Amino acid sequence: MQVIPQLLVSTILLGGIYALIAVGLTLIFGVMRVVNFAHGEFLMLGMYLAFWAFALLHLDPYATLVLALPVVFAAGWASYRLVMRPVIHASHNVQVFTTVGLSIALQNLALVLWTADSHFVRTSYYAVVVRLGPAVLNLAQAAAFAVAVLATAALFAFMRWSYTGKVMRATAQDRQAASLMGIDTGRVFALTWAVGVTCVGVAGILLAPIYPVYPTVGLQFVLIAYVTVVLGGLGEMAGAVVASLIVAAVEVIGSYTVGTAWKEALYLVLFIAILLLRPAGLFGQRGAETVGA
Amino acid sequence: MSGATAPAVAFFALAALAPVVVRDAFLLDGLVLILLWGSVAAAWNVAGGYAGQVSLGHSVFFGLGAYSAALLGTRWGLSPWIGLAVGAVLAIAVGFVIGFLSNRLRGPYFVLATIAFSQVLLIVASRWRAFTSGSEGIAVPFRPGFWTLGIADKRVWVYLILALAVGVYLVQLYLERSRRGYQLAAVREDEDAALSLGVPARRLKVAAIAVSAALTAACGALWAQYVGFVDPFYVFSVDLSVRFALGAVLGGIGTALGPFVGAALVTTLETYLRARFGGIGAGLVGIYLIIYGVALIAIVRFAPQGLVPWLGARWRRPAAGTAR
Repeated sequence: MQVIPQLLVSTILLGGIYALIAVGLTLIFGVMRVVNFAHGEFLMLGMYLAFWAFALLHLDPYATLVLALPVVFAAGWASYRLVMRPVIHASHNVQVFTTVGLSIALQNLALVLWTADSHFVRTSYYAVVVRLGPAVLNLAQAAAFAVAVLATAALFAFMRWSYTGKVMRATAQDRQAASLMGIDTGRVFALTWAVGVTCVGVAGILLAPIYPVYPTVGLQFVLIAYVTVVLGGLGEMAGAVVASLIVAAVEVIGSYTVGTAWKEALYLVLFIAILLLRPAGLFGQRGAETVGA
Repeated sequence: MSGATAPAVAFFALAALAPVVVRDAFLLDGLVLILLWGSVAAAWNVAGGYAGQVSLGHSVFFGLGAYSAALLGTRWGLSPWIGLAVGAVLAIAVGFVIGFLSNRLRGPYFVLATIAFSQVLLIVASRWRAFTSGSEGIAVPFRPGFWTLGIADKRVWVYLILALAVGVYLVQLYLERSRRGYQLAAVREDEDAALSLGVPARRLKVAAIAVSAALTAACGALWAQYVGFVDPFYVFSVDLSVRFALGAVLGGIGTALGPFVGAALVTTLETYLRARFGGIGAGLVGIYLIIYGVALIAIVRFAPQGLVPWLGARWRRPAAGTAR
């Protein structure tokens, strides 16, 4: 029973970072009805950004985080204008292939530019461990968690209370009605995409001091994010946060009981089970999955 | 979706004539791969194009075929033809489950479900060391003979894979011309309307996915035998699934010849870049994938029906472009 506090701490730390990745994905789906298959690649780019800032400019990843925020947002906005805007009213399949194409292009751009080698951000504190009662936690992981929670909370506050956030929620509810009320839905989509990309880019920068970065690193995280957003109900931001903790718990407890080798199988089986039994997720509208909306 | 078969006849005739003229093993190898990837893209097209069930997990079927052939061969010394049959049966079984899901999930939900399936199989294949030899993969032994598919002559492989390609093409042609094919098109375009006309929509979709699965598994089994090595991280990868879809979408989703043309373009550029940069800058091989990523975005935006119908429209009405 000594391990329970440790499992709990690990779950919460992991869940916090998963939540930041997942809210970006679910926000984009909620407002735009697009599953971003390039989400993992934006995570990868965030990690590389932190790595190169560290390697070339000796910038600490947390300093990079603050400095890069406008850059990541602008990159998100630009990718919307270039790639997503022309297909925003197209069929699901066109949108799926567009984001898949973006994913292939970005992943291999990273491969060509920076090779397939793994890179590490070796900060001076990367192995520092803090004791917290009966549990121990890695400092970088704790810091990543703290920033991720702050960023997620900021996003929730933005969506809840700001005028722009309300406009985005209105568009998510009924884009036709929103545009009849004078909302420029095109700008809302651009903003939503950029905010979603910023969330996952920030998550990437936060993950850089913890995990090695390589061109396909996004896949393992984005798979978890897919499981999370479907479990929480696609488009449901609060659901995504709760689901992040559930998925993190499955992963942490799974690693402890069946070993790290099979932990991924656990959440994928969980995923298939949700899709079979309650595809709308825990908090989603029932029936959303059959209209494909 | 015209029924013009002349371009396809020319395409396959050219492939059949090539081994008579070409002796170069490198070029013949390229031709085998073009026909093979074309066949898989066409098999994907049966579900993704004709039935409208876009999957990014088709590597699950390919991998089942490859692993069945490799495992039955190395563990029990059985013929890869038996492996092919077993792989196809397993793929049909998984296809039924995925087909069942397709009746509950649409659009992005279905795509996500198919990815999850291929990842589960990837984990099983790479972690179940005792049976699949895990992440090391399986080297398929070369046993000379047709029954064991130990064929050194690449010309024989061209004809073997050509037969497969023509087979998959004919399945697609059936879907373009038969009553069932029309019903399937109706389901794809508007399932509720098709149902109200008495079309057995669910059964047709599941059947299309199962057929697509079996054909993909057959390709996987032959591929394993041709290449001689099965790596779980390759055969069950999302990248491979995307590759199948890519060929079909570039060439023309829901057209019989399109997947072959798309796969030929993808494979040719890949093979060229591998030969050109393989030794010195292996990373540069990734350029072809950047090009195809961008091409995919451009195709679905400007010519969503794909290259073959796009070219066909220009061929038949050459003035149409200038008249506008």
